[in-house]
Amino acid sequence: MFEDVKMPEGMSAETLEHLMYPKNYGKLDDADGTGVALDEKTKEYVIFYAKLKDEIVKDVKFATNGCQDTVVIGSMFTEMIKENDVDYAQKAIQKMHDKLGKLSAQQQVCADIVFTAFIASLKNYENKQDGTDEELHLLKMKESCEVSQEEEEENDK
Amino acid sequence: MTNKIYQQKHELWLNILFASFAIDDERIKSHLYDFSQIAFRHMKWFGNKVLESGKDYNYDRDMVLLKQESNFAILKVLKEKIEATQVFYPDTTLGERVKTDDTYLLQYVAELLANPVNNAEVTAFNMERKWEDLDQSQIDALTLFLFEESYKEYELILVYAYMQARTKNMLHFNVFEDLVDESHFHLKSFGNMMAKLGILALPRELHRMTYVVKDLDKFVKDGIAEEEAAKEMCKELSDSIKDEKLSKFFDFINYQESYHIKLMEKLL
Repeated sequence: MFEDVKMPEGMSAETLEHLMYPKNYGKLDDADGTGVALDEKTKEYVIFYAKLKDEIVKDVKFATNGCQDTVVIGSMFTEMIKENDVDYAQKAIQKMHDKLGKLSAQQQVCADIVFTAFIASLKNYENKQDGTDEELHLLKMKESCEVSQEEEEENDK
Repeated sequence: MTNKIYQQKHELWLNILFASFAIDDERIKSHLYDFSQIAFRHMKWFGNKVLESGKDYNYDRDMVLLKQESNFAILKVLKEKIEATQVFYPDTTLGERVKTDDTYLLQYVAELLANPVNNAEVTAFNMERKWEDLDQSQIDALTLFLFEESYKEYELILVYAYMQARTKNMLHFNVFEDLVDESHFHLKSFGNMMAKLGILALPRELHRMTYVVKDLDKFVKDGIAEEEAAKEMCKELSDSIKDEKLSKFFDFINYQESYHIKLMEKLL
């Protein structure tokens, strides 16, 4: 495991900066949309807060009890989407996949939990716009962060 | 008694603790670490007072750990934070005790600042990541381990302290106390290693979803699984690194994690 550590883009200065000082980490008290993605197996979660104005993501924050991969990806993703429109933000998910290159199976789950939490925050915003009284929108992850050795090896092929 | 005091004390505890990690002088490091433990007890006592008054506290914080380049820069920031916190203390027996402790700490910091011999370059934030006898891949592995586990130890300290403050079960109270003490030692060890590597950073803030535990049994079982994972990480790190001293250290931590599991089983 430790001989084969793979961080997004390796342990670059950028990655280290996101590890030491995660961007947009925390909570927004006046969020328009709040979403949670939960891995029920490991209880790992990401909570995502979005402040939206005229379809622009004016502010964004996230928090997690997850691993450092989740933190780094959350930090990079929130930097990408802040001050951009929702359509761009949704396309940014693919852009992030491109930016991160070939991830391990576990890191893909980390990326997906961040993106799912963002999508949940948009869903919460839509629901509130439609008059639903919903504090936050919860989406449960289909894939768990707990990746088996076989899945990891399959992914490495 | 309000959450505001609790938050200020939480921030001051971290300020003192991370000043201790960042400063390389063993004498100053050791003194500041002792003061950080006193600050943690203040925080715990304020938390109890908040609960006794029928209110609640949280782990929100509003602070950054600036990249300082000298001991004096760190000590000046610490001095300002101690002074700014003093105004929040209440006029109670506890408030007076805490004020007296902090006044003594201020005096100690002032004495350090008065003597230029105490100033030195700080390398804890330079991101150079150098460690004798380790190659780059081993340093990468160590870096990831330290970020992962320093956060985890901070999380465990706060989560167990939160539960300890609310339990009426004496056995649970004592187990939480032991687990908090053990995590303090691990956080100290990892924090000092991060400083040595030049990657010292605050653990990220805890969200309420992390520390408000609704099902203790489930929490403990998940915690035991996490301890098992931490043990495995320590073992792999110990096996993969070539530095004998460091390798022995991770074996030592690994055995400690084994006993944590035994302690946690008492909570079931």
